[in-house]
Amino acid sequence: MEYDVVIIGAGPAGYVAAIRAGQVGLKTAIVENRHIGGMCFNWGCIPTKALLESAKMLNKVKHADEFGIDGVFAHKLSFNWEKAKARSKRITGKLTAGVNSLLKKNGVEIITGTARIGSDHSVYVDNVKISAKNIIIATGSKPKAMNNKLANAPIVEMEKLFALESIPENIVVTGNHVSAVEMAQFFKLIGKKVTLIANSDYFMVGIDEYLITTITKKLKSDNIDLILNVYPEKYENGEIYIGGFKIKCDLLVNLNSRKAVIPESEIPLELTDRGFIKTANSFETSIKGVYAIGDVSGKSFVAHIASAQGIYIINTIKGIKSSFDSTTYPINMYTVPEIAQIGMTEQYIKEVGIDYKISEFPLSANGKAMIEGNTEGFIRMLSDKKYGQVLGIQIVAANATDMIAEASAFMNVEATVYDVAKTIHAHPTISEIYMEAGFEAFDHAIHF
Amino acid sequence: MRYIFNFPDIGEGLEEGTILEWYVTKGQVIKAGQPLVNMETDKIVTDIPSPKAGTIVAIYGSVGETIHVGSPLVEIEIEGVFGAEAVAETKEKEPVKTEAIEEEEGAGVVGTMELAGKNAYLAASDEGSSKPKAEEKPTVKVQATPLARAMARDLNIDINRIIGTGPSGRVTKEDIENFKPTKHTQDQTQRLAIQDQALSLDAVTYEPLSQIRKAIARNMLNSKQSTAHMTLFEEVEISELISIREKFKKPFSEKNTKLTYLPFIVKATVEALKQHRQLNSQIDLENDRMIFKNRYNIAIAVDTPEGLVVPVIKDADRLSLLQIAQKITELSDKARDRKLTLDDMKDGTFTLTNYGSIGGIFATPVINYPQAGILGIGRIVKKPVVKDNQLAVGNVLPLSLSVDHRIVDGGEASRFMNKIMEYLSDPVLMMME
Repeated sequence: MEYDVVIIGAGPAGYVAAIRAGQVGLKTAIVENRHIGGMCFNWGCIPTKALLESAKMLNKVKHADEFGIDGVFAHKLSFNWEKAKARSKRITGKLTAGVNSLLKKNGVEIITGTARIGSDHSVYVDNVKISAKNIIIATGSKPKAMNNKLANAPIVEMEKLFALESIPENIVVTGNHVSAVEMAQFFKLIGKKVTLIANSDYFMVGIDEYLITTITKKLKSDNIDLILNVYPEKYENGEIYIGGFKIKCDLLVNLNSRKAVIPESEIPLELTDRGFIKTANSFETSIKGVYAIGDVSGKSFVAHIASAQGIYIINTIKGIKSSFDSTTYPINMYTVPEIAQIGMTEQYIKEVGIDYKISEFPLSANGKAMIEGNTEGFIRMLSDKKYGQVLGIQIVAANATDMIAEASAFMNVEATVYDVAKTIHAHPTISEIYMEAGFEAFDHAIHF
Repeated sequence: MRYIFNFPDIGEGLEEGTILEWYVTKGQVIKAGQPLVNMETDKIVTDIPSPKAGTIVAIYGSVGETIHVGSPLVEIEIEGVFGAEAVAETKEKEPVKTEAIEEEEGAGVVGTMELAGKNAYLAASDEGSSKPKAEEKPTVKVQATPLARAMARDLNIDINRIIGTGPSGRVTKEDIENFKPTKHTQDQTQRLAIQDQALSLDAVTYEPLSQIRKAIARNMLNSKQSTAHMTLFEEVEISELISIREKFKKPFSEKNTKLTYLPFIVKATVEALKQHRQLNSQIDLENDRMIFKNRYNIAIAVDTPEGLVVPVIKDADRLSLLQIAQKITELSDKARDRKLTLDDMKDGTFTLTNYGSIGGIFATPVINYPQAGILGIGRIVKKPVVKDNQLAVGNVLPLSLSVDHRIVDGGEASRFMNKIMEYLSDPVLMMME
């Protein structure tokens, strides 16, 4: 059986590519050795956000009294780990089933097993040959192991976290990026003692420094200890030794940087210095007709970018004109409050020397935010002074991760601050802060 | 309703003009045909009249600024139709049907205004709209991002000239950045780079082309590529013409007019054209027809420091020798002072080029396309001639006639030339015609 496209890995890069391939009439197979949906569905985006939602619910219910609800007693509330986990599993189950049926509906063959690329440019699964005109590697990534000196520590990666039956008291999270901050906050919200260790110089790389300051302040006010730029030295008697300190640690959550999962290949695949599959701008690897998308190419570690790459690559194979622009996509943090950023950071704008303007509007002046009881946050819009082009938008708000989509649309159509200002927003909504920031950019915000 | 009036293509192949003077101000009520602005191009200085009556709501460009053809000049709020209504209508119906206003008759616009139908429907309600001429296909509003529009306005680029590369052909920031009015293809750019390498820096001096040089280059090349040139050489003995000129020199100068040989040649040419209409015509291959001109508008090539310009003596057949002489002086002076108006330059039907006044004998003149012929006039030289079987000293005028061989056969060209020679050698005959 010869396929037009064989995709290895059914995460957000692979399964989206497969659906798209089926839609445009390519004969397609997808090979997965574990779970449809990959990291995103099973241990990443979806289940962690589901857990966070449970934790946020706990936090919100604690304030029920303020909203005029009697009978809810904060001291009686507690977090049920098993129930929250079960809820997240149900969501994952529904989504996985949905993707499964979409793959089938679009005529995609789902093959279970581990793929190997043969010297004959075919894919082998359990020694069964699958001929392919095009191969797409979308095998993703896995966390780098912790230093050997910490081998005796109670380390969990995300996959194992979901296998835990209970969560102990003293949690140490290590990691430099968004997911580490999210998980640190999660454990704090469910009442644990949390330390966040960012062990590289690149804490929150790519995030605007203004937002990083917001985050670190927030962590501090939440009583989450943040330790920057230090790597844990050893683990002894339930404590982590770090920079002359000892930190109680019953669970060490490893959210450190990730490494590529490279499939076995009889034709050697060229790798980057960092060990990811080297690809051209077209996502083609060193082997003609073999492409790599998603985490395994090391170009980004975000599900929505992986999916966009999947669509792009199929269009390219099918000969449908399309372009891939990964410069304008939102970075979301599902923290409390949520944080979202899109476009250029202020530091980048300065570096490239654009004459810019920042317009800010606080949530404390927004009616809907008061109604919802979440006035913590702001919008920050960066625009160029000459034409008023929107260069970047940053939002801190309870639902910032959804609100940022409007900014994506603005930036995608190269909107100017005038367009933002003259877009009528319904009242009362938190999104009104866009309009206010738009006016503020060239004139004056109305409500501040 | 708001109407954006773009700098029209005023002909002559010029792409831009400089604002010399605004006649109107923001808020001023204007009539159709009223001059808006005085513009200078490399060839001419001309007034641009308003195509519409209304109130000026915006003026683009200040004195001294260069405006490209197709870029906005003014925005006019047209009387009787209010912005909001017009916008509401535009949204409901096809653009052409919404037009409540008809193009005013006789709204005199210079030159080839018909070509200037590049006025765009702009996007947002407050950004105005305009209408295409009834006979034109409706201009489709180009899709562009708000940023691209802002940039195009700022950079004076007609966004409708840009091919968008965004989704559904949308013009993006990148398209504006990549747009070069001179449209160098990548190929040309590479070739330029290679040439630059080949020539060491001190061996040459680079200077940008002037507008007039670009226009001349384009017109010359177009002529050579579009016509089948054929040139005929003749010599004519003009001793009689010389003595007549001597005789009339004084009465002419009393009327402040210098009498040269050129007025006689204009006259001879007009009379010959009357009898050989092929030479006063143009060919219209697209429509399989000839276009014979019923007017005798003689264009005269004038050498100026900036380059060649070709003003026109209109209806030369109706002018006396004196009037022709006066017209030639007037046009030459205007050409050198760059005071020619567009009207002075258009509608020529046949061209004379008097290189002899500088020194040439024969030449192969390039036809002033789409005309059918051009007569080159050389320097008068004294030469031995045979008169009544006697060798004599003759005054010989060399003539070079280039014709478009697609229109004019060799025989016809010779007959036309003979006629001119006949008139020049026997001027009295010409005066009798």
